[in-house]
Amino acid sequence: MGVEQMYMQDFSPFRTWWSILRRYRWHAGSVAWILHRITGIALLGYLFVHIWALRSLVKGEAVFQAEMELFTTPVFKVAEWLLFAVVLFHALNGIRIVVVDFSARGAYRQKALLRLVYAAGIVAAVLMGVLIFFDPFAV
Amino acid sequence: MQNGRSKWSAYAWYWQRVSGLLLVVFTIGHYVTVHWTEAAGHSFQSSVERLTNPLFQFWYLGFVVLGFYHGVQGLYNILRDYKLPRALLWSVMGLVIAAALYFVYLGFDTVLSVHTWKQVR
Repeated sequence: MGVEQMYMQDFSPFRTWWSILRRYRWHAGSVAWILHRITGIALLGYLFVHIWALRSLVKGEAVFQAEMELFTTPVFKVAEWLLFAVVLFHALNGIRIVVVDFSARGAYRQKALLRLVYAAGIVAAVLMGVLIFFDPFAV
Repeated sequence: MQNGRSKWSAYAWYWQRVSGLLLVVFTIGHYVTVHWTEAAGHSFQSSVERLTNPLFQFWYLGFVVLGFYHGVQGLYNILRDYKLPRALLWSVMGLVIAAALYFVYLGFDTVLSVHTWKQVR
């Protein structure tokens, strides 16, 4: 019985998903592949939210300032930091995908590149945390 | 490549990578110009000033179009992997594409009509 038939015979979605998760190869590269998809869907959703939120720019200064006040509250600062982490992973791993796909030796170096993605990502996320929560360049 | 269909997805694969790289450049520029300090991004007048500059207008119109192209194409790549019934796949994609086109219009309208708030000095 092929893997596909095994999924087909079970009509309970939760058991099907669980069996997929159990069968899944939890290797570094495939985890990055899943994270890339999840962060990608999140970013497409965020693009809608961002454009919607910036409609305040055509409603005048008072509406815009009220919205910006909201964005400086701690909840939104944490949300912006998480958003940056999502952007960061998707961008860095995206560069890794391009290197793996387009360079002659990239595919042989995909795990080292992934370590670089996580290392650079953590460093950049910490730096952004400093910028967001301590605002060192504030006048 | 046996037919036009597989050729089409090869182009989609290629442009997904090219648009992704361009979006990385866009995003770095966006973070540096708008989100470096609270004052830069959260001031109404500096935002209006920025969006009345033709260079920034071109920059953001490109950002919006590329962002939705890459996002919608990416969503299609994901959904295609789950072998959904064709009617369901294209209903979802139709809704997402319609919403994306409307939001491209919203973004264009924001960028191109914000000059009405520019202060005359």
